[in-house]
Amino acid sequence: MSNTNTKKIKPLVPPVAAAVLSAIIPGLGQLLSFRIRRGLLLFFSLVSIMGLFIWRLAVIAHREIGIADRLAKSFSREPFFIIFICLAIFALWLWIIYDAFKTAGGSADKSLGIFVLILVMFFSLGWQISEINVGKMIREFPEAWPPLSRILWPWEAAVTRDTSSVTAEAAILVDDTKNPPPIPEYIEGEPYIKSTPTYGKMSTLDADNNMILGDTIHLEGSGFEPDTETFIYWEDSVGNEFRPRQNGKYVTLTTDASGGFSFDLVIPYRLTPPSAVGQQIHHVQARQISEVGPVKASEPLRLTIVLMLETIFMGMMATFFGIIFAIPLSFLAARNLMSGSWITVTIYYIIRTIFNITRSIEPMIWALIAVVWVGLGPFAGIIALTIHTIAALGKLYSESIESIDPGPIEAIQATGANRLQTIMFAVVPQMIPPFVSFTIYRWDINVRMSTVIGMVGGGGIGFLLVQYIRLLDYKSAGIAVWFIAITVAILDYVSSKIRERFV
Amino acid sequence: MLEIRNLTKIYDDGTEALKNVSFKVEDGEFLVIIGLSGSGKSTLLRCINRLIEPTDGEILWNGKDVAKADGRDLREIRRQIGMIFQHFNLVKRSSVLTNVLSGRLGYVSPWSSILHHFPSEDRKRAYEALEMVGITDQAEKRADELSGGQQQRVGIARALMQEPSMILADEPVASLDPVLAHSILGYLEDINKQRNITIMCSLHYLDLVQQYSSRVIGLRGGNLVYEGSNADIRKMTDNQFKEIYGEEAVRVNAGSISGGADE
Repeated sequence: MSNTNTKKIKPLVPPVAAAVLSAIIPGLGQLLSFRIRRGLLLFFSLVSIMGLFIWRLAVIAHREIGIADRLAKSFSREPFFIIFICLAIFALWLWIIYDAFKTAGGSADKSLGIFVLILVMFFSLGWQISEINVGKMIREFPEAWPPLSRILWPWEAAVTRDTSSVTAEAAILVDDTKNPPPIPEYIEGEPYIKSTPTYGKMSTLDADNNMILGDTIHLEGSGFEPDTETFIYWEDSVGNEFRPRQNGKYVTLTTDASGGFSFDLVIPYRLTPPSAVGQQIHHVQARQISEVGPVKASEPLRLTIVLMLETIFMGMMATFFGIIFAIPLSFLAARNLMSGSWITVTIYYIIRTIFNITRSIEPMIWALIAVVWVGLGPFAGIIALTIHTIAALGKLYSESIESIDPGPIEAIQATGANRLQTIMFAVVPQMIPPFVSFTIYRWDINVRMSTVIGMVGGGGIGFLLVQYIRLLDYKSAGIAVWFIAITVAILDYVSSKIRERFV
Repeated sequence: MLEIRNLTKIYDDGTEALKNVSFKVEDGEFLVIIGLSGSGKSTLLRCINRLIEPTDGEILWNGKDVAKADGRDLREIRRQIGMIFQHFNLVKRSSVLTNVLSGRLGYVSPWSSILHHFPSEDRKRAYEALEMVGITDQAEKRADELSGGQQQRVGIARALMQEPSMILADEPVASLDPVLAHSILGYLEDINKQRNITIMCSLHYLDLVQQYSSRVIGLRGGNLVYEGSNADIRKMTDNQFKEIYGEEAVRVNAGSISGGADE
């Protein structure tokens, strides 16, 4: 090792001592052989891996107290993880001792293998910490599929038709037999329902909440649409209606070819309102609901379109306001223009710093702040996007100002042009392409951002999307998702086409 | 007539680019400046139209001191002195015609010109200038669509639009093929001879210097080290050339420098 002697100081301790020291405090042996970075790296790797491991044990077995209990509980839950990390820590410790021995002897090995092991340990800890669970993902897929499929293909919910209902009703006296109501008068051509008898006992509940069925009435109808689904409704004495169930299902009939039906209905259970006195007259209704008129856009579709427009215009307004503020600021943030004196250099640094900080805070977070300021709605979203746009465009603009070619400027000056003419002829033509390109790009980003900024109350389609998802209305949510995807794709294409022309 | 007296330029970083340089340029001359890169040629040319502020000295242009001119006066002087550049310095995204018309900026009203409005006689003049350099058919193209030689011709047309009494040419052929160099210098020669416009031009190759110059000055390290007529430069020996260019330049560049010189 004659060539290493020239650049390295002799190790302080002999190989065996170095190995022992590294066994007690990992990396100490390497430190004493003046392999400072290697020693520190090994020490902190081992310590941080052990620290993270102990923390994960505490999290996995958070109910247990005492190290042994925790270890046992964790082991029963995550055996592979525990075994792997324990073995790896042990292997790492052994290797550090071996490495200390070799280093003190002046012949350190290439250490690629051990650093791969350290990386693998960090990644398996990362896997554990971030609670990655592929099994769960696969297991729960069948349950997730129905809502997912509704989001993927929501278009049945996009259209609707007007409905009209045809109803006939008959009065029923309940829990009494005296003076039952007459059967309704039959009118030719009108839907008609008649009950025999027109009175009966209601279903009741016993002390154990078991249903005791009431009397059965025979219903006969006519004059309805033939071969059509017909729903039975029950209306109590104070006018509240509901759909009675029979054998666990809502009572639904289908009319015969002549538009009539006949059916035996058990009088349903209904708590008599306390205010009701005297004879209780209920009504039974047969109702047909049919779709009439042309297909039209459903409420979710119309709301989605309206809010999509709002979103696009939010992006546009934010870009517009962003440009207005970014252009003057970008001149103050251009190094080549601001290198004149220490005052301008200070201004340059201040504005650059503000740009960088502002840009590093996501528009979503600005939106949360803006909502506090101006309340929910698109204006808050515009404020948030504008703030972020000013910083982002300001930086891009100032960089394009910094990169303009000074040649044309001196050429135009040499013709005897004044300052304004020089700017218009030599500076502006050079600035237009990057300005247009960055602005279009930013508009694209702003529309994309405004689709999600509504999720925190900043208006636009994100607001609607979150509402639909919370209401579990996946089809309507799916419509919004589709519109966002289509709009962003179109915008992406258009903006890249426009930018191509200006580069 | 141009007279330079004790011109000195010291840059902010302390570099002395020109040291007490004095010489005269008579009307109608084709004055060539020779010297290594960094010898102060570009600085000298740019001090004459004040693209660079001289530190000290006088630049007398027809009796007026350019170094002391301000605002309107300076612009008036600048428009009498055209300039062409090594890298052409065209506004690449503007049309050839706009680039040529921008040579008129010192004459037209500032307000109408910033809207790119030029009088019709200026447009006529621009086409004449383009015709003179043989690229009328390229007028509507974007400047960066043209080849290097064509771009330099646009540069010449732009300078001609100023109706200058003098043209400063800062290494006008250094970024062009040698074949194109003769074409470009040919245009400058025509302008010099036919229109009696003074040319002040920095050049690298001795054969070009010998062919086109009427007089030559040499700069080395910011000092004026040589002054001679065309006849002198044709007689110039390799050793004299070494004096101006310095030993190292000869070693690296011997072939091209001594190419046209008598051994």
